[in-house]
Amino acid sequence: MKLLGITLLFLGVSGAAMATAVPEIDPSSAGSAVALLAGALLVIRARRK
Amino acid sequence: MAASEQQCGSAPIGTLVSGPASKASVSSGLWVRVVWFALLLAAEWAPLTNLVHKYWGAGSLLEIATASGSFFLALAYIRSRESFDRLSNELRSFPIRWSLLGLHLVALAAFLGLSVLHSSGFVVVALWYGTGVLAIGLAGCALVPPRLAYGFVRETGYAWLYALAAGLVAWRVLITTRLWNGAVWNPAIDLSWKPATDLTFSLVQALLRPFLAQLIANRSTMTIGTPKFTVTILPWCAGFEGTALMLIFSTAWLLYFRQEFRFPRALLLIPAGMLVIWVSNAVRIASLVLIGVAGAPAVAAGGFHSQAGWIAFNCVALGFVILTRRMPWFSTMPREEKKERTGQNLTAAYLVPFLAILTAAMISRAASGGFEWLYLLRFIAAAGALWFFRAQYRNLDWRFGGFSLLAGCVVFALWLGLDKLAGPHPSSAIAAGLASLNAPQRAAWLGFRIAAAVITVPIAEELAFRGFLIRRISSADFDSLDPRHYTYFAVFVSSLAFGVLHGERWLAGTLAGVIYAIAFLRRGRIGDAVIAHAVTNALLAACVLFAGRWDLW
Repeated sequence: MKLLGITLLFLGVSGAAMATAVPEIDPSSAGSAVALLAGALLVIRARRK
Repeated sequence: MAASEQQCGSAPIGTLVSGPASKASVSSGLWVRVVWFALLLAAEWAPLTNLVHKYWGAGSLLEIATASGSFFLALAYIRSRESFDRLSNELRSFPIRWSLLGLHLVALAAFLGLSVLHSSGFVVVALWYGTGVLAIGLAGCALVPPRLAYGFVRETGYAWLYALAAGLVAWRVLITTRLWNGAVWNPAIDLSWKPATDLTFSLVQALLRPFLAQLIANRSTMTIGTPKFTVTILPWCAGFEGTALMLIFSTAWLLYFRQEFRFPRALLLIPAGMLVIWVSNAVRIASLVLIGVAGAPAVAAGGFHSQAGWIAFNCVALGFVILTRRMPWFSTMPREEKKERTGQNLTAAYLVPFLAILTAAMISRAASGGFEWLYLLRFIAAAGALWFFRAQYRNLDWRFGGFSLLAGCVVFALWLGLDKLAGPHPSSAIAAGLASLNAPQRAAWLGFRIAAAVITVPIAEELAFRGFLIRRISSADFDSLDPRHYTYFAVFVSSLAFGVLHGERWLAGTLAGVIYAIAFLRRGRIGDAVIAHAVTNALLAACVLFAGRWDLW
């Protein structure tokens, strides 16, 4: 649940922070980028157990 | 103060009590905590200086507060040395309160969220000021208990008043005194934005010099490239966004998994992560210039420009997690030995096909100027991952019934209906991209696109969102959980996550997620959800091909 929490927190922050079009980070890709990161972290954490 | 804090208080300055079983506690004197406070705020707020100055007076208030605080500490140290030493000694009895630091992060996140709103209404501005002040205040309270701070201010008499006056005068002098070149020194610009942008420019220049003989680098306009292709490094693409994201990620990670790290040394990982992402941004800009010079300016300014930032961030964040775990100096967890793994990583079996699609999508988009000609990568990546884990899918129930066919048709109708209500969508680059291909290439691209939509995407997404996420939210031991013992919260979160991934069609995506979840949970068969999803995608593909609705892809 910790990882879920951190993912939701990060998704919320990045979604809000990237609400406007910016050159460095593309806001339209925020959803898939955060999903990729969260999924990879879940796999890594599960591998340790 | 809580009893637990008193118990930890016997540790000497800088002592760390670490380990999974014991709470980490750090005790230190006033100077050490002041330095921590300054470092924390500098690391957090330097990348956000453009946000701090968004509303009138906020930047000035911060400057006055910084100057007054510095004067106050200096005055207290000189005039009331005994009080200063007493506070330092008392602070050694109080560990840093990580819970308040966590709340500080929440307030900072709220401040960030409010900063990017386009509203300037009274409520938004008031909340913006409030969350900013709260974030700073909570950080201060985490390091120095308010009761001790208040007592210290009282003992130093009117030092606070003199310090406030001196801070105001210093700020006034600062903003009115002109430098030798006629400019006014602005701490926000001259201490943060300008040096940061200059540093990025210099890094990019150094990275490009070995590769480009005709390198043009104009520092006054921040333009760099060759006569053939140049880019301008604007302040807001100089690495601040990636640094801010890394700051939030690394701080949240250390906070959530604090029992796995050795403090205070683990705090060094935060600036280290920010530094790495900063350098990676310079590499991104240099790569962008090289791609443009190599003859693909559309790719450089299009797909690569939009995807490289996220690719770099994901690589740095994952590297942060993996490497810090393997460093005993930072980590309290035992070093992972090369032991033979007996159990299977079921999480990987459920998630990797979907992650493979996301990774392939990022790469293929980064290599595209508009039309995603490398789409076949998505199909190959997902098919490869599904094949790799095929043995672990044998136990899943792949049967399906008539309800799943009906659910797929309902989602299709819902998708088109909501699409019509949303109004016209921007024209897709697919039609123009396909027109530029010859017949065999066009057939191959369409073949892979349809195969991905109807076969690999439904299987990968249903495994991830319905097979894994719904049950994982309900229980850590998700595989032993009967799918029919779900919670409404789990269905809602997994459907919302599914919807968010569909961008501007997030509402249709969320509702589709709910319907696929019903198909899955009705009999606990993953096959029902996959077939429902495949039917929807097949009908959408037919709409695209026979009605020319390219915007649906």
